Amino acid sequence: MDAALKSLGVIFDPSHFLMLILGVLVGLSIGILPGLGGIVGMSILLPIIYGMDPHTAFALLIGMVAVIPTSDTFPSVMMGIPGSSASQATIMDGYPLAKKGEAARALGAAFTVSLMGGLFGAAVLSVIVPIARPIVLAFGSPELFMLALLGLSMVGVLSGKRPIKGVLAAGIGLMIGALGDAPAVPEYRYTFGIDYLMDGIPLVIVGLGLFAFPEIVDLLIKGKAISEVATLGKGWLDGVKDALRHKFIILRCSMIGVIVGFLPGLGGSVVDWIAYGHVIQTTRDRENFGKGDIRGVIAPESANNAKEGGGLIPTLLFGIPGSGSMAVFLGGLLILGIQPGPAMVTENVDLLYTAIWSLALANVFGAGLCIFLSKPITRLTVIPFTYLAPFMILIITLASYQASRGWGDLIALLVMGILGWVMKQYGWPRPAALIGYVLSDNIETYLFISVQRYGLTWITRRGVIILALIIIASLVMGAFWQHKKAPRTGEDYAE
Amino acid sequence: MQKKWILLGIAFFLISSLGLVPLAQGVDFSGETIKWIIPFGVGGGSDVWARLYAPFFQKYLPGKPTVAVQNMPGGGSITGGNYFHTRVKADGLTAFGSSGSTSFPYLLGVSQVKYDFAKYHIVFASPTGGVAYIKPEFGVKSPKDLKGFKEKLAYASQGATSLDLIPLLSFEMLGLDVKAVFGYKGRGPGRVAFEQGETNIDYQTTTAFTKNVRPLIDQGLAVPLMTWGILDDKGNVVRDPVEPEFPCFPEAYEMVYGKKPSGSAWKAWKAFFVAGFGVQKAMWLPEKTSPEIVEAYRSAAAEIVADPEFQKMVKKSLGGYPQLVGQEARQAFNEVLSVPLESKQWVLKWLKERFDVTVK
Repeated sequence: MDAALKSLGVIFDPSHFLMLILGVLVGLSIGILPGLGGIVGMSILLPIIYGMDPHTAFALLIGMVAVIPTSDTFPSVMMGIPGSSASQATIMDGYPLAKKGEAARALGAAFTVSLMGGLFGAAVLSVIVPIARPIVLAFGSPELFMLALLGLSMVGVLSGKRPIKGVLAAGIGLMIGALGDAPAVPEYRYTFGIDYLMDGIPLVIVGLGLFAFPEIVDLLIKGKAISEVATLGKGWLDGVKDALRHKFIILRCSMIGVIVGFLPGLGGSVVDWIAYGHVIQTTRDRENFGKGDIRGVIAPESANNAKEGGGLIPTLLFGIPGSGSMAVFLGGLLILGIQPGPAMVTENVDLLYTAIWSLALANVFGAGLCIFLSKPITRLTVIPFTYLAPFMILIITLASYQASRGWGDLIALLVMGILGWVMKQYGWPRPAALIGYVLSDNIETYLFISVQRYGLTWITRRGVIILALIIIASLVMGAFWQHKKAPRTGEDYAE
Repeated sequence: MQKKWILLGIAFFLISSLGLVPLAQGVDFSGETIKWIIPFGVGGGSDVWARLYAPFFQKYLPGKPTVAVQNMPGGGSITGGNYFHTRVKADGLTAFGSSGSTSFPYLLGVSQVKYDFAKYHIVFASPTGGVAYIKPEFGVKSPKDLKGFKEKLAYASQGATSLDLIPLLSFEMLGLDVKAVFGYKGRGPGRVAFEQGETNIDYQTTTAFTKNVRPLIDQGLAVPLMTWGILDDKGNVVRDPVEPEFPCFPEAYEMVYGKKPSGSAWKAWKAFFVAGFGVQKAMWLPEKTSPEIVEAYRSAAAEIVADPEFQKMVKKSLGGYPQLVGQEARQAFNEVLSVPLESKQWVLKWLKERFDVTVK
């Protein structure tokens, strides 16, 4: 407790505090720019932390990474373009809300739950550290494989009335993920002698191609503003009220966020989809999902901020990063001369508390600033899209080019974009494809390791059986409640 | 040990500054920006290494230029290496940072590799060390107990052609029955697999070993076996100065077999050890760089190594190994360049027979 209070004092020291604010501002800017996420933010800040004292550097880096999932909601809600990989699922309901002129409401709810999720993550981080080791160690490769399968099982519920198309789309995603170097053998697949394909197609490009490109094309064809009504409806205060009404969703999804972040190897980029799938699965009146149900915004947004708290655990305690941005953060630790490991809870416990306080405070500032900004920014949705389009095209092109800085990035964006547009036209669930893509590496790697190490006996491990039961339960639950409802009319929530 | 190296560094610095000042005088990087290409992503080991060095080059290169690390990840560092080989001008404004993962494909003759270290000028090199350890339930207390050891072991590996070639080859040469489980994303996940019991023999770089495996040893959850060792100035593999209480690999070999290692396997081991650990990371200038520029870089590196602030940082972040500058680095890297063809072929054959891996 002493250490906790001491670290709080350190954080409020003006120089640290300024760094935290600087980190928050960088994080918010990066979040708002579509396609740029924590990895880019870390890469920008890494060179300047050289020679800083670790507490200051922690305030800066964690301040930045904590608020990306807060501000990345802007492009997701207002333009249907993922602000970063953490807010892809927010598009599903946030964007339809913006079309109805309720962007302010969606943003108000999103920022409120981002704040709560972030605080939840920080709180969990502070209590779980002493018992985190055995929990992390309980998840071997077979269990991680089953968790990836659990993530993949969300495809069912996200594909709504088109389960076959959903499964096929997930298959396409898995195949896109299999391009390039194989995870467990020194082989390159489907590279056709093209150097660019050796590393596979980057996540940013798949995300922007599947979601942003088709949206821009369709909006241009329509030639109207994003919002289909001329006046902006409900304000952000209604969103806050919506959020408070659904506190159990926030709690459940924050827990999902922490767990996904906490387990190394699952990767942060599926957390929003898992939370989104979860809220659909556990809701009876689902017909509005995909058409602007506020719960579809609340679920992913609370999970993605909570994830950062969870993600710090394996990074600091084991030196194994849970996500791309945490991998860069790990590099930052080494620059600061800190070797992550068990010593973080003993000799470096003050640093750990600095991390926790930075996380909590950054979430408060980030959400506050976003709410403050949301009013002027939502005006963008009533501007005719033809004025916005050149700017949006420029931004997604730049963001894609950031991935590996080669011509290949732009060509890949175009190919993925056309694929996304065709899928959208023919009602193929794009979320399913994205989930398949994101999980393909995990699924292959952990299955490969499990079979190499344990033969077929890995199936009989206790953890594997428990997770298998959870997967079955989740599939049954999804299917059962779906059938009880009268057949839906109109558009599916998947598209 | 440490002191000796530092003295050597200082001596080198003095000699170079006395003898070569007139040569270096023509070089001035004032107002220029020097790009240092690192063929890996931000935050990785090589990136951190370069970023720790960059501000010091900024301070000591003539004219105090800006030194910017430029990450060019891809193809397991082959992309960046090829770029350096084919596209970089020899004007001293672009340097390259290689790692063991860049040298291995070069040694193995991977067909995509266009770069050729024999042609470039090495500025300095940084060694690193590794420590192998095993689960306590086998009752092994030191490499001596590995004589006639028949238990089946499992090792978490990134791939047979990665730096894991050294541990795998070491285990093989010691006669251990180790199953390599491929697909782990790095040494961190490998260590967690060891802690989980998914594997039961592992190695870590010395820095990670000190922080993460020492506590396990204290709790009786791991037993240290050996270090890979470090290259001395005569080209011998000797005890690791950072973890001097453990035998190095050649000593462990002697403990098991009663004689020093020799033959094709040993030659191959040594070549790949030097490429992967002994001079793991190195800074290079292009083939046609003028001797004045090369010398300016090398004297800057010598000054850096003698800088007390840098020495503090080496201890904290780079494992505390002596850094090799100029001719020292060249000489050490010669071990990599002069690998006999038969050793390379021996490794390729071994990879094929043991792991069914064909290098293309």
